[in-house]
Amino acid sequence: MTTGMDRLVAAINGEKSDRIPVFCNLLDQGAKELGIATLKEYYSKGEYVAEGQLKMREKYGYDNLWSLFYVGKEAELLGCQKIIYAADGPPNVEDYVIKSYDDIAKLEVPDDIGSCPLFAEELKCLQILKREAGGKYPICAYITASMTLPAILMGMDKWFELLFFGPHEVRDELLTKCCNFFHKEVTAYRNAGADIILYANPFGSTDFVPMKQFHNLSMPWMKKDVEPLGTNDMVYYCGSSRMNNVIDPVFEQLNIKTYYLSPNDDVAAGKKAVANRGLTWGVINDIRLIDWSEDEVRCEVKRIIEAGMAGGKFGFGTLVMPYKIPERNIRVMLETAYEVGRY
Amino acid sequence: MLTEIITAYNEAVFDTDRDRALEIIHQAVENGISPEDIVFQVVIPAMELMIKSISEDFDANLAQHFMASQIAAQVTDEMVAKFQKSPEIIGTVVIGTSHGDMHTLGKRIVSGCLRSLMIEVVDLGVNVAPEKFVDEALAHNSPIIAISSMMMHTARSELGCTKVREILKERNLEDKIKIVVGGAPYRWDPNLYKTVQADAWAEDGITAGKVIKDLMTGMRK
Ligand code: B12
Repeated sequence: MTTGMDRLVAAINGEKSDRIPVFCNLLDQGAKELGIATLKEYYSKGEYVAEGQLKMREKYGYDNLWSLFYVGKEAELLGCQKIIYAADGPPNVEDYVIKSYDDIAKLEVPDDIGSCPLFAEELKCLQILKREAGGKYPICAYITASMTLPAILMGMDKWFELLFFGPHEVRDELLTKCCNFFHKEVTAYRNAGADIILYANPFGSTDFVPMKQFHNLSMPWMKKDVEPLGTNDMVYYCGSSRMNNVIDPVFEQLNIKTYYLSPNDDVAAGKKAVANRGLTWGVINDIRLIDWSEDEVRCEVKRIIEAGMAGGKFGFGTLVMPYKIPERNIRVMLETAYEVGRY
Repeated sequence: MLTEIITAYNEAVFDTDRDRALEIIHQAVENGISPEDIVFQVVIPAMELMIKSISEDFDANLAQHFMASQIAAQVTDEMVAKFQKSPEIIGTVVIGTSHGDMHTLGKRIVSGCLRSLMIEVVDLGVNVAPEKFVDEALAHNSPIIAISSMMMHTARSELGCTKVREILKERNLEDKIKIVVGGAPYRWDPNLYKTVQADAWAEDGITAGKVIKDLMTGMRK
């Protein structure tokens, strides 16, 4: 039987497997799948998250697994004590670790994340995923770039202020710590068996910063993030913001070989920009899956795949699937992708 | 000369260069332009020019919206303090993030743009209860409730915009108070504002200024 890993490896190598790889990013939905009443309880145990991931993948047949609980976990590793839970959406950071610039000096990056008690549940989750599906279905890890991480440590609002108005020494001190944290996280996830590192950085998009700042500010910090680590398993992702116009510099200066486009990027143009140098993912605007009719879903999946599939080195994926998407539309999306994406 | 100042100021804003933008304004004051003229002949027309270029084809990024709002609000505050008599305010808006939502940047950008258009803003903070939106709007005699949400579940929450609508209906306030929404999920689904029963939405901070101002002046007629 062809596995998700077979499909991914074939796509990376420009070969054809039975169909293109299809990534579906279901997170909170795992709780419902296991019949666990609250998201707080679901995310309290690595076993639950692993089981939720395995069960959903088996049920729907897509190609990836997530070790991510929710992004706010990264803030928890750095001291965040308060997370706000909802019944029908992802947990969020409620209280910020950095309340004044003094807190930046005090911010401590754990030395070995792998042995951090706060990382224990994620580690457990990764171990189970590896044991049950290692080598068969790629295990994804989500890691926030140094330039974006401050958003959940001090709030986007205060981060924009510091980033653009300074003081620059304080800004750079924080970025240096976030970069150090990024290195430690990547190492911990790799050691625990993650196959794919989703490098998440909305600041790597010109939807966020002008091109000049992309080159002068974002790029140097991205280099510091990824250069010491190697990029073979890394995926460039701007948090759903557009990236087509930076694919070239990212390729040339960071050597990242996989691009998870924005639903607002032109798929054919993105594929052309990546050319034969790497893998392009066409991504659906999954927020619309809540209300779209089955026909609309089919139409959109078909449009995306047909724009990028020719010549291989292409996959289809979602963003962070909202909880409210009806199961019927998840199935229609995936079945269409399996069918249209067949070689 | 004012046109030149507007152009130079907007260039600095779009270059996200706050220091240069402020320098241009301060230079203009030194050259004898009154604080009133700075606000009404420079800052507001500059903001309107931005609204126009964004509605046409100029694709401004987030840093530019942030800068535009922060610089304009700062200059407006600074100049208004020097006015001969207090300026005429168009009206007051209450703004906050919806139930369960902790994200403040969108609200801050929108507030800055509104303030620079001579609209007073009462910031209710984050994770605001629906009753509070309505009570505060009444307390401040505000014709607009502005609600910002970063996620789908906080935009569509039963304790979010739809509940505010319900309360307005119950209390017979729908003619007096309009709801304007915004934030990431609305940009990904331009029909979402209807689903949550808001009166209007805006895609970005600068456009939000225009939408709210237009709504307010329309309600007065
Ligand atoms: C930056 C970003 C992040 C950053 C920082 C987030 C933060 N602020 O804390 C990081 C990478 C850490 C992140 C994490 C998460 N994110 Co995020 N993120 C984004 C991104 C790229 C931009 C959001 C943002 O802050 N924009 C800046 C603000 C200022 O823009 P804005 O809110 O749109 O505001 C503008 C307009 O909308 C308008 N506006 C705003 N408010 C109002 C109000 C009124 C009245 C009006 C008229 C106008 C208006 O004016 C503003 C200025 O121009 C969006 C995708 C996107 N491109 O929008 C996803 C997005 C918001 N994230 C999303 C999600 C799910 C998350 C997580 C919950 C994932 C998870 N499972 O953990 C976490 C939450 C982290 C936390 N807070 O605990 C989803 C939400 C949709 C959904 N599925 O519900 C999005 C839409 C991505 C997607 N399509 O999947 N994220």
